[in-house]
Amino acid sequence: MTVLPVGVMPPLPVAGPLAVAGLLLATGTRLPRRMPDVVAILVALAACVLCALMAMGSAHAPLVYWFGGWEPRHGLAIGIGFVVSPAGAWLGAFIALLFAATLLFAWGYFDAVHAHFHVLMLLFMAGMIGFCLTHDLFNLFVWFELMSVSAFALTGYALRTDALEGALNFTVVNTIGSYLILGGIGLIYLEVGALDFSALGRGVAAHPGDPAVAAAFALLASGLLTKGAQVPFHFWLSDAHAVAPSPVSVIFSGAMVSIGLYGVAVLDWTVFAGSAVVQHLVHTLLLGMGAASAAVGGVMALMQRHVKRLLAFSTISHAGILLVGLALSDGNGLSGMLVYLLGHGLVKGALFMVAGIMLASLGGIDELGLRGQGRRIWPAGLVMGFGGLLLAGMPVGLMDTGLERIELAMRDQHQIVVRVAVLTGMVCTGAAVLRVAGRVFVGWGPVSGEEECSPTDEEREKADRPLWLMMLPTVVLVALSLCGSHDADRIAWRAAALLMHPDGEAILGLATARPAVVAPWAAVPGSWLPWVATGLAVALSGLELFWHRLPRSLARGYDRASGPALGALGALHSGLVGDYVAWIAVGLALFVLA
Amino acid sequence: MSPRVRVLLFALAVLCLAPAFAHVALHLPRFGAHPLPYGDAINAAGTRERHVTNMVSAVNFDYRGFDTLGEEFMLLGAVTGTATLLRGTRGERKEVPQQVPGRPVRARSDAVVLVARLMGTTTVLFGVYVALHAMTTPGGGFQGGVIVSSGLLLVFLAEGYRGWRRAMRSEILDACEGSGATLYALCGFASMLAGLPFLQNILPLGKVKDLFAGGLMLVENAGVAFAVAGGFAVLFLEFLEETRVEADGDDEEEKEA
Repeated sequence: MTVLPVGVMPPLPVAGPLAVAGLLLATGTRLPRRMPDVVAILVALAACVLCALMAMGSAHAPLVYWFGGWEPRHGLAIGIGFVVSPAGAWLGAFIALLFAATLLFAWGYFDAVHAHFHVLMLLFMAGMIGFCLTHDLFNLFVWFELMSVSAFALTGYALRTDALEGALNFTVVNTIGSYLILGGIGLIYLEVGALDFSALGRGVAAHPGDPAVAAAFALLASGLLTKGAQVPFHFWLSDAHAVAPSPVSVIFSGAMVSIGLYGVAVLDWTVFAGSAVVQHLVHTLLLGMGAASAAVGGVMALMQRHVKRLLAFSTISHAGILLVGLALSDGNGLSGMLVYLLGHGLVKGALFMVAGIMLASLGGIDELGLRGQGRRIWPAGLVMGFGGLLLAGMPVGLMDTGLERIELAMRDQHQIVVRVAVLTGMVCTGAAVLRVAGRVFVGWGPVSGEEECSPTDEEREKADRPLWLMMLPTVVLVALSLCGSHDADRIAWRAAALLMHPDGEAILGLATARPAVVAPWAAVPGSWLPWVATGLAVALSGLELFWHRLPRSLARGYDRASGPALGALGALHSGLVGDYVAWIAVGLALFVLA
Repeated sequence: MSPRVRVLLFALAVLCLAPAFAHVALHLPRFGAHPLPYGDAINAAGTRERHVTNMVSAVNFDYRGFDTLGEEFMLLGAVTGTATLLRGTRGERKEVPQQVPGRPVRARSDAVVLVARLMGTTTVLFGVYVALHAMTTPGGGFQGGVIVSSGLLLVFLAEGYRGWRRAMRSEILDACEGSGATLYALCGFASMLAGLPFLQNILPLGKVKDLFAGGLMLVENAGVAFAVAGGFAVLFLEFLEETRVEADGDDEEEKEA
């Protein structure tokens, strides 16, 4: 780039969208009707290009940018720094791309005066990109909050009673998460006296056995895991995703949840790498939480008939797989997590868009009620079926590449139970989505009589867009998730290595930069897991659709075996915010017990 | 989960947390005994480098000015979100509304009107004063902006609802809020255009203890003051507008009257 050197880019993808959001708010009433749509899409695309350029520019050494020119003095960070590494920058590019696709999907959907929707979306995007690039703990919190505040409002945008209830649960639970993070920041600042990640890392290494450091990690991690929807902090997610407008759910599931987990990864490797207690916690407790989320989310997804709620539980399950990759604490696990994050975001984004298409074209989102009605929008059905196979682990594309790395790490570490949990998550979520595709778009499955006509909430989204306009971003996302998986694996391998060995001394100006240590990349030998998972998922969805054709005794046995346990699990997801808060306390207690 | 089970679960969790809490609390540095290298460094260098005496402002607007940019837009997002959620059901009213049918108009006493008129103007003036003196004494654009907007709220007490609505135009308030926040971001871009890092000072710093010392911080501070005053005024407007929605009880009151 001759026009703009890569060294001055870091503030632009964050401050640029913010400035445009402010201008849109100030001039909102005077703009032509479609102007906010166009402006927001262009800004998202520009942010995507900037992040991608920075990602390529930082492949060998991170881009260090001190705001206000306040470089550290004798190792003391005076100001706030962005340290752009390939992992963060590629993540930023992915987020911006997802926003561009979503804004295109939502073209004309939010016609309200003042362009408030676009203002909130741009703030949301800026918050997420800032979260990925920052190198300062308090600054991280600022972007985390910006992202939360805009997310709360976007959830309740539809203004139905259930939307407001879901938004309220989301707000209460996530605000508690924010308080936990703030508490963690306070504790570690008190102990170490710094906020910059590198300075914190040095401080933590100097106080290895300090209980306050471990407590700070517990608080920070609980807050981020709340955003990342991990058992037992996950309850808000299904309520919020089910009621948010579909374009917003795309962002929530595609990026916001996984960003929380990326935050845990960054803190784990840059700040708490020197604390044995924390490393132990990550490798035991977080691994367990990830496995539990994968399994619980998968089983819950299978039990849903509200399609968006079903997809929401599948997000919990796949976020669990991401956490497993992170908690395995090795190069394979982390690089697998990064690729899986992109792949899952693209696929799940596309699936939520299909749900949006169902809401707009079929006027409902209930799987049983829409039985067979989706035939006239069959392209959406194709995407949904294909997406189900990808969730189940079909061996093509980014999700598979990421999963193979995670699987390699699990195999190396002999994590049998975790592997079973991951397999459960993949099979159940894949089967659930395949079942919906089969029932709604083909008309398979029994006619269940009364249940089909049972009253469900009147839900409908505006049907003022042609099908091709909604299908375009959906197909683009799925296509993106299929291409370049080989390159993505190489890039993620390098990005994970840079993330795991940050050069803190050089960032703080205490030493000259040392060359990055990157282990040579080697292709992953294909494993049997994807084939088994895909096969099982297809079989399970067949069983779910056609169990009435089984011999009666077998069908009853299936019912009886699955009934009570699933009922109890379902009852836990009560929708009462008081319950959720109690579970957060339980989650914190788990940190103490571990 | 029944309420009893919920409380039991919570109590068990707290029981596990309590010893850990005590353990951590006992290991913290003693009160006032810990070194705070950042504060010392800023106190030592702040006045020399930035020509201001209010170090909190120096940190907020300059050393860690980028945080404040995020916070500014967080406020903007919160206000926009609240306005969206509140306005959604009733739509936005452009014209000055008439009296809600069936709600009695109670005459305000002259004393209330007089006090509110006097206090309103003084409060706004005081808010401007606090915002202007950001660099020398405690206070700043945020605090000043809140005071200004609460002074505006006194217009409601003094002039009644219609007077308040005539004075408060939501598009002007939105413009005030949006452009104030944007001004802050533009300060950063101005530094970049000058070839410096984002938000680095590009204006003369002025004399220490002077009202207009601090360079670029003054502009950022003004942006914050506008954004906060506008944002809070939008909130007041939306919440007051909520009281205008005809409540269920209104009709009955009318019948009784």
